[in-house]
Amino acid sequence: MEAEVIKAELVLPTHMSFKRIQMYEKYPKGQSKVRWKQLKQILQAENCQSYSPDEPNYVNIESPPSMQPCKRICDITGFEAPYHDPRTNLRYANADVFKLVRSLPNEYVQRYLALRKAAVVLR
Amino acid sequence: MPFISKIQRQTDYNRFPPSTPIVIDNGASYFRIGWAGETEPRVIFRNIVQRPRHKSTGETVTIVGDHDPALLKYFDCTRSGPRSAFDSNVVFQFSTLHLIGWVQMDHGYIDKFTALIRSASACVEQIDHPILITECVCNPVYSRSKMAELLFETYGVRSVAFGVDAVFSYKYNQLHGICEKDGLAICPGFTTTHVIPFVDGEPVYKGCCRTNIGGYHITDYLKQLLSLKYPHHMARFTWEKVEDLKMEHCYIAPDYALEAQLFQKGGKEAEDKTRCWQLPWVPLPTEEPPSEEEIARKAAIRERQGQRLREMAEAKRSSRINELENQLHGLEFLLQQLGQVQEEDIPSFLSETGYASKQEIELTLTKVTQSLRKAKGEPKPEQAEHEEKADSCTSDKYPLINVPDNMLTPDQLKEKKRQIFLKTTTEGRQRAKQKRVEEELERERKTQQDEERRLENPQLYLEQMHTKYKELYEKIELRKRLKTNGGHTNGSNSGGVGRGERLNAAQRERMRLLTTAAFDRGKGEDTFGAKDEDWQLYKLMGKDNDDDDDGADEDEAELARVSSRLQEIDPTFVPKLEPTVSQPTITEVPHVRPLTKEDFQIVLGVERFRCPEILFHPNLVGIDQVGLDEMTGVSIRRLPSKDKALENRLTSSVFMTGGCSLFPGINERLEAGIQMLRPCGSPIKVARALDPVLDAWRGASLYAANSRFHQQTFSRADYYEKGEDWLRRYQVRYTL
Repeated sequence: MEAEVIKAELVLPTHMSFKRIQMYEKYPKGQSKVRWKQLKQILQAENCQSYSPDEPNYVNIESPPSMQPCKRICDITGFEAPYHDPRTNLRYANADVFKLVRSLPNEYVQRYLALRKAAVVLR
Repeated sequence: MPFISKIQRQTDYNRFPPSTPIVIDNGASYFRIGWAGETEPRVIFRNIVQRPRHKSTGETVTIVGDHDPALLKYFDCTRSGPRSAFDSNVVFQFSTLHLIGWVQMDHGYIDKFTALIRSASACVEQIDHPILITECVCNPVYSRSKMAELLFETYGVRSVAFGVDAVFSYKYNQLHGICEKDGLAICPGFTTTHVIPFVDGEPVYKGCCRTNIGGYHITDYLKQLLSLKYPHHMARFTWEKVEDLKMEHCYIAPDYALEAQLFQKGGKEAEDKTRCWQLPWVPLPTEEPPSEEEIARKAAIRERQGQRLREMAEAKRSSRINELENQLHGLEFLLQQLGQVQEEDIPSFLSETGYASKQEIELTLTKVTQSLRKAKGEPKPEQAEHEEKADSCTSDKYPLINVPDNMLTPDQLKEKKRQIFLKTTTEGRQRAKQKRVEEELERERKTQQDEERRLENPQLYLEQMHTKYKELYEKIELRKRLKTNGGHTNGSNSGGVGRGERLNAAQRERMRLLTTAAFDRGKGEDTFGAKDEDWQLYKLMGKDNDDDDDGADEDEAELARVSSRLQEIDPTFVPKLEPTVSQPTITEVPHVRPLTKEDFQIVLGVERFRCPEILFHPNLVGIDQVGLDEMTGVSIRRLPSKDKALENRLTSSVFMTGGCSLFPGINERLEAGIQMLRPCGSPIKVARALDPVLDAWRGASLYAANSRFHQQTFSRADYYEKGEDWLRRYQVRYTL
């Protein structure tokens, strides 16, 4: 290893005397991958429904949808958007932006839509 | 400047007795670790792990935190980018070789910390210190137990305590008089935003609420917006850079709509608020326009070259004329000689010259004279006269035509056929000529009529001509456009018809025919071509543009006539440029603008407040949850006691901590937002933490330094004895 790298202590040593179980012992090389649970799986395993609803848990402290009317802003400029283009589904503020919207390639349209999770997702 | 973890080797690890707890603020963005009782954490680094491959040795190594990017050149990072172990503030990955662990307690954090803490000489065999580590509100028990397991099993830690970072921050600031014992802690963090109500100095988790939005989303939004706005500079927008931009330039608008209108209208105020990031740019060396001399020199060269070409052409022409004249003389001489030679000697005489008969010589002679005339550039009419002269002696020229076939020998029959052919062609030519003459006359007559009309009423005539010209011009123009447009779609062939590109009528018809041919035959096997009628299709298709081409030619001729006439009588008339000439010059040479300084500027206008706005309206990025201001209302509603006085006490001590509360203007906005939710006249006070980023660690450090801290920890024995359900309910008391 290069002297620079060693000096910066960039890389963690593989063996550390204060550890009871070393990393290489816990996860020996070549063994099947350890799959970590994703948050969704953790929450499922948590079985929150079985707890009493009065008790706070990770799921039920989530905030509800907003009561205020949804704010509509132009996807491209960020101005208030009174209009909506039925072809691309983009919101736009004025005629100039509309021209731009219509000239956008589909890839960009989808990326703009993806910003507010409105893009077409193929599964 | 991007944050680079400043990690220094700690040399005083052995100075701390085993009773001194280690305090860890395990945040989603940064990891802070230090000793209880101190005011600053010892080590701070970004909570990410990378497992690149070392280029020269090929081994996979573990790198925790962020580093000087220059050092990463020794590693191959293509296989694994930096990863975080957090998903909505919950640690979900606990060390792995492949998935890259939860920035590895196992082999990241504590390792790093302790490895750095230990002095070079004294080797640490055992971590004796109790550990206080932060977690999110209502951490799932799985996450908690894994963390405890890790600490106990791998590190052999004696005792552990879990606490919530926002609460520690609140308590710390309560001590400094920023907030009261009853209040609301709002913590917009890296991936989530929490609101925690406090009653009597203790958090009431029942009144908690969490929206899954935070600094990460803001940075991501800004990054996406910028790369969509400046696709050419996409590579510039690295995560670190955009994070810097966000921290430096973003602010919360007091009223989004008003602020946006300000920018929409433009003007000075908007300009002042617009920030501009100039990317490194070196102006291209500008090409100086050529000097007069240069132009003159070039013109002279061109002229010389033209002259040479002309001379060459002239020389070629004269040589050809010479040649032809020689041939002509030769032929004439031959004919003269032939006249002198006896009739029966002709074949023997001609056999030397290569000609078969006298007629052949004459034919060649006429041909040569014609080419000579052509070469000399003399007009054709003489030829016509010549032909006419020839006509007069038709009967002499075609003696065999009127003789019946049965009276002729086979040779003569052949000759007769030839003569008939010659005669018909000559006659046809004559007829065409006749027609031309008639047309000429007709045209003359028309011009005369025109002239008369013009003389009658010059003004009206001129107007009529103009309108006619215009009509014709437009007609031709339209046809051309249709044609070229159609040609376009033909050219791009099967690439589909793009937006705005229409087929012309003929092509549409063809498409229709093709589709009917392809699909109208039902689902059976392809029988196209079995019937003879099928092939008629191609005839129909082949017609295409031919029909209107004749019309087009006529129109064009008419247009030329009208425009020349107009030029004659109207000195102001300027014929429109031929579109086929002018258009290509425009399209073929697209004006390539040289890149300027402005092309390398990243302008931050609306983005400055559009991105942080998602804290208040998560809707903007498609997260259907309440924003910061409404969260306070939700939180108060969720509290079990409906005590007006308590609610007023809560709103009069709203406290903000967490990295995202650093945006300028967030206090005012939040205050206004809460005002709208609360009854008129409610006391509202919003305060920001002394240091929204580090106060959580400081609070935790203070808490752990308390002599009664050990009552709140649990040991390994407790952990195994009491079981999961206990761990789920485990809660530290924050007031000691």
